[in-house]
Amino acid sequence: MTFSRPLALSELGQSTLRQLTRAWFAFERRLALVPIVRRLDLGTFTLADYQQLLLHLRPQVVEGSRWISRAASSFDRDHSDIRSVVLAHANDEHRDYEVLESDYVATGGRLETIRQQPRNIGSEALNAYLMFRAGEPNPVGLLGAMWIIEGLGEKMAGNWAKRVEELTGVHRSCTQFLRYHANNDDSHMNKLYGLLDRICTHEQAAGDVVLTANVVGRLYALQLEEIDGAQ
Amino acid sequence: MNAYLTSTGSFLPGLPIDNSEIEDFLGRVEGKSSRLKARILKSNGIKTRHYAIDKAQRTTHSNVEMAVSAARNCLDSSPVPTRSLGMLSCATTQGDMVVPGFGSMVQAMLGVPSVELLTTHGICSSSVMALKAAANSLRLGEHRTALVVVSELASRLLKSTRYEAAGGLAAMDFNSEFLRWMLSDGAGACLLEGAPRGKCLRIDWIRSFSHADAFPVCMGIGMPTDATDDRTWQDYPTYGQAEAAGALLIRQDVRLLEHMVKLGVDGALRLIEEGTLDTAQVNHFLCHYSSHHFRGKIADLLVMSGAHIPQDRWFTNLYTRGNTGAASILIMLDEFLRDGRASVGDTILCMVPESGRFNTAYMHFTAVAE
Repeated sequence: MTFSRPLALSELGQSTLRQLTRAWFAFERRLALVPIVRRLDLGTFTLADYQQLLLHLRPQVVEGSRWISRAASSFDRDHSDIRSVVLAHANDEHRDYEVLESDYVATGGRLETIRQQPRNIGSEALNAYLMFRAGEPNPVGLLGAMWIIEGLGEKMAGNWAKRVEELTGVHRSCTQFLRYHANNDDSHMNKLYGLLDRICTHEQAAGDVVLTANVVGRLYALQLEEIDGAQ
Repeated sequence: MNAYLTSTGSFLPGLPIDNSEIEDFLGRVEGKSSRLKARILKSNGIKTRHYAIDKAQRTTHSNVEMAVSAARNCLDSSPVPTRSLGMLSCATTQGDMVVPGFGSMVQAMLGVPSVELLTTHGICSSSVMALKAAANSLRLGEHRTALVVVSELASRLLKSTRYEAAGGLAAMDFNSEFLRWMLSDGAGACLLEGAPRGKCLRIDWIRSFSHADAFPVCMGIGMPTDATDDRTWQDYPTYGQAEAAGALLIRQDVRLLEHMVKLGVDGALRLIEEGTLDTAQVNHFLCHYSSHHFRGKIADLLVMSGAHIPQDRWFTNLYTRGNTGAASILIMLDEFLRDGRASVGDTILCMVPESGRFNTAYMHFTAVAE
């Protein structure tokens, strides 16, 4: 677990950061209850579990760059600095689903199988919510979505990669997607910290950021819950 | 009504034992020195600790004897007579007897008549549970005095013979060995009264948040080494079979420990958000972290979330007194107060994150004068 340190923050920025940190902890507690994550914790996670995880992550990852790109285009000229950060982010990740596919194939899965995998109920809800929010004018609340999704990479993906390898015996070539996010999402998080003061200039925006983080956390967990629900 | 902490006491058995002597007391499993010891000790930062067992692993002080010694140490500094105590509130992870409750044994040896008795059950945070119940009985006006006594005798669980009976070196892993180099023995006590006496601490609030619903067991005794066997220790035909299966070993799931750091900070942030806690106003921070390793992590998280408490306000005696589980926070408070570190008007925040199944407890005091 690593948590990056933010720059000096305004009082509202600081309070928002506290609430976001709590939203993150609540998300972790929710994740710990998800059956596939519990198996990872208890050591009963199998190779089949890992393949299911990759299968169910892909649809949302493919869509990930789309909502970020849409969000970027929803920021007007008064928010062009935010748009730049969001655009750079979209560019960083818009093909990371290919890494995920290659991990799946490395575990012995078929490329056609993962490419044909439909969204599960949770991915459907998560994607719909993100696309809807991204289409609103100046969707600053999506900072909260990035907080959760990038946070997963920064704080959990590295541990998950190691644990998956330990429990299933797969080679590192099978966990590149998790490792990529573990290695890169901390710089993304630093950019988010940089945006906190910029975005949280009034209570309403700050509240929206926290609400969005909580909704995305809940829907992301639902997506992982559905891995077992769908079987 | 308020409750005040008017006296403290502690008891640490025998001489301080440094790192090179640990295995002389706990014994070497199958005669071999541990390979993990140096690594774990480097991480936890503990330099000396106390054991209530000798080099032949014979018990030198029972858990009750240590508890009563700490209680007497506390009452010796107070004019309150032992026999007048209204409530006796005790905690330990494991008493000398399986039943009756630890408090009964402490009461008997201390000699307190007709007292209201409580024994809380748990690990590190059971001390705070005992203290809160005692404080509340004063706040309700049911009693004028309550003695809180917390004692731990972990070394008996850590003897080499325990591990040899559970399959020896071949059956040991990091999680079963980890606590051998973390835990040690000792007792702490504090006296609570319904009115201030001299310079004392007013109990502002005591709160806790448990997360057992969300996470698996992180530290426990009772589960066998084989993770696929869902029996607990009493489900075996004999205790001998339970021991052979490793179900009587104390274990820590080290991987889950990071949750404890985060949940500890999470509770502090909850208290800040609801307006109960203002870390900027905290003059002294007594945090029962089990290992130096976690101090930095807790500090980083507090900084990140805007709840920074400067390092010079932190107090601990972990490094010299060891990690005595539930007793730690009272042993810490005793040394802190006896050193005269709190001036009238100072605020003190105590934090006790328990890894057992993730209960995090907080106490807030203000130093006042009668």
